[in-house]
Amino acid sequence: MKKKLLVLFLAVAMVFPLAACGSKQAEPEAADLSSAGWDEIVEQAKGTKVAFYGWGGDENRNNWLNGTVADYLKENYDIDFEYVGMDINDILAKLTSEKEAGEETGTIDMIWINGENFYTAKENGLLYGPFTSQLPNMEAYIDQDDPETLNDFCKPIDGYEAPYAKAQMVMFNDSAVTPETPKNADEFLEYCKANKGKVTYPALPDFTGSAFVRNLIYEKCGWEQFQTMEADKAAVKEAIEPALEYLRELNPYLWNEGKTFPADSTALDKMFQDGEVVMNMSYGPFSVASGIADGTLPETCQTFVFDNGTIGNTNYMAIAFDAPNKAGAMVAINAIIGGDLQLTQYSQLRDLPVVDQSKLSDEEKAAFDAVDLGKGVLPQSELLAHRLPEMPADLVPVIEEIWAEEVVGK
Amino acid sequence: MKDRRAMNTVLLITAIIIFLPVIVILVWTVTARWPWPGLLPESYTLRTLEELLFGSNQLTEILLSSIMLATLVAVIGTVIAMMTARATEIYRIRGRQAVGIAALLPLLVPGTVFAMGIQVSLIRMHLNDTIAGVVLVHLVAALPYCVTIMMDVTAAVGDSLEEQAAVLGAGPFRSFIDASLPGIMPGVLSSASMAYIISYSQYFTTLLAGGGRIKTLALVLVPYIQSGDRALASIYSTVFVGSALIVFFLLEAAIHRIMRKGR
Repeated sequence: MKKKLLVLFLAVAMVFPLAACGSKQAEPEAADLSSAGWDEIVEQAKGTKVAFYGWGGDENRNNWLNGTVADYLKENYDIDFEYVGMDINDILAKLTSEKEAGEETGTIDMIWINGENFYTAKENGLLYGPFTSQLPNMEAYIDQDDPETLNDFCKPIDGYEAPYAKAQMVMFNDSAVTPETPKNADEFLEYCKANKGKVTYPALPDFTGSAFVRNLIYEKCGWEQFQTMEADKAAVKEAIEPALEYLRELNPYLWNEGKTFPADSTALDKMFQDGEVVMNMSYGPFSVASGIADGTLPETCQTFVFDNGTIGNTNYMAIAFDAPNKAGAMVAINAIIGGDLQLTQYSQLRDLPVVDQSKLSDEEKAAFDAVDLGKGVLPQSELLAHRLPEMPADLVPVIEEIWAEEVVGK
Repeated sequence: MKDRRAMNTVLLITAIIIFLPVIVILVWTVTARWPWPGLLPESYTLRTLEELLFGSNQLTEILLSSIMLATLVAVIGTVIAMMTARATEIYRIRGRQAVGIAALLPLLVPGTVFAMGIQVSLIRMHLNDTIAGVVLVHLVAALPYCVTIMMDVTAAVGDSLEEQAAVLGAGPFRSFIDASLPGIMPGVLSSASMAYIISYSQYFTTLLAGGGRIKTLALVLVPYIQSGDRALASIYSTVFVGSALIVFFLLEAAIHRIMRKGR
């Protein structure tokens, strides 16, 4: 009997602390930042830690963030900056769980985000804001009227994220293998016919493959009509019918006759490096230069875009709703959109800067112009002259669904 | 004689199947380009070594934290498994079969689902993003294996030797250490190694329970595999496998010494 009582007591003793923990209240917010002045925010951020979460698969970017950016923030603002590699899906899953559990102080301060993910995160209250109007560098360096400052995949930003870097769809091949560079959809079809079975694109919903297909849709159907289109499947399907027709026409000349597509852009990158396909594509407009510098791509690689232009978008930095250090995150974001760090991002990572050229001082302009981008790429001016806007975020999954039904293996 | 030759052939084939890919990975660690159909890489690079040793991922720190975490899981997991096995195999407790089945239950739930659910519980207990939280979650993943292993050896060894020791006047603790433990030691070893390797290779659970704060080798390695950087993925894989092997050899050597001393 005694023993049984003891067991009962132990069992209760074990469960009790758990239950007690569950009802414990999280600490309240330190201060309201939305009305604070910039000096106040910088002061509050001094001596704090900032954790930036985002995709960790690019060693150059990891080193830039943990090196150049971290040093800059330490020196100028006394902030300890750390970059944590985590896929955006996992970040959003983490934030969703934290929201569900009623957590008020999480671990994520800043997030690298854009497009659909931004749209869903903002809709679900996973982001803090609006905050961008409080950043001095927004006014000093960023074009306020640029559609990409106001909208992300046609969805209003409302001050919930600040631009980080610009991406643009480019295509590239090895001029020693195939010297021709298709200038439009028709030439691309000819190119596929000439290199039967050696061209393909990543299966949607891969980010790059999806953008490439949207680009071909723009080629066949124009881009303007999509900017205001509702995400109604039947209507979208009707609008992109000529493009679907074209994609099906393409299939017999593609790798594995278009019955299957490489699972993601990573797989296509490897196939291109191995010589299994003759053409590749990327959202990083200067990725060829990095590849040549790394030795993963031959020196004869060349970048090209369609004459009508290719899709460009911006990726952004946002702040988590439960960020433990919102002031620090704001200071870090402000620094990253400034001229100094954007210049290092351009020179070290070869990423298109988000700064407005007309807002730069002559000195800064000269520094940007002096950057050696490396081999096999198109100059910034040519890319920007061939830049088309993204579609609304909610059209993207609809098109991916239609592609899977109407194009694969047809 | 014939049997032995057949045996050797099988061994040789198995060895080739295991070692050939390992050799390919070793070559990839310093490969820049290796296009088809070349038998050897077209160009080599030292950028991977540079990144590994001087990059922004502090290798020693990450290695130490991975090894500490896995060792903790191995020790705690094996002790829990040892006690569970004694409870179900030696003492005739009612419902012990249910305990045995319950110990296997975590295997039935897919890892991702489990990780996302447990994260909410961890946040409620304020254990999210802590080492304790990650250890707990790893334990859940490792315990089914540990418990199964320990149940088998405990059932085989039984408690007859322990009873003898007790008859001869040894206390319960001493009779367990001196009489039963040497017998179940092989099980303890395999349970600990199993828990170690499971904890060492956890990716998604560590990511969610640790919130990116608790850094392990797997957390650094997997993004490079996913991003398709084969050279970097290879060099981190080599460190991953190599460090696990070294720890195993050390563990085994230590246990052998203890066992010999005991005798």
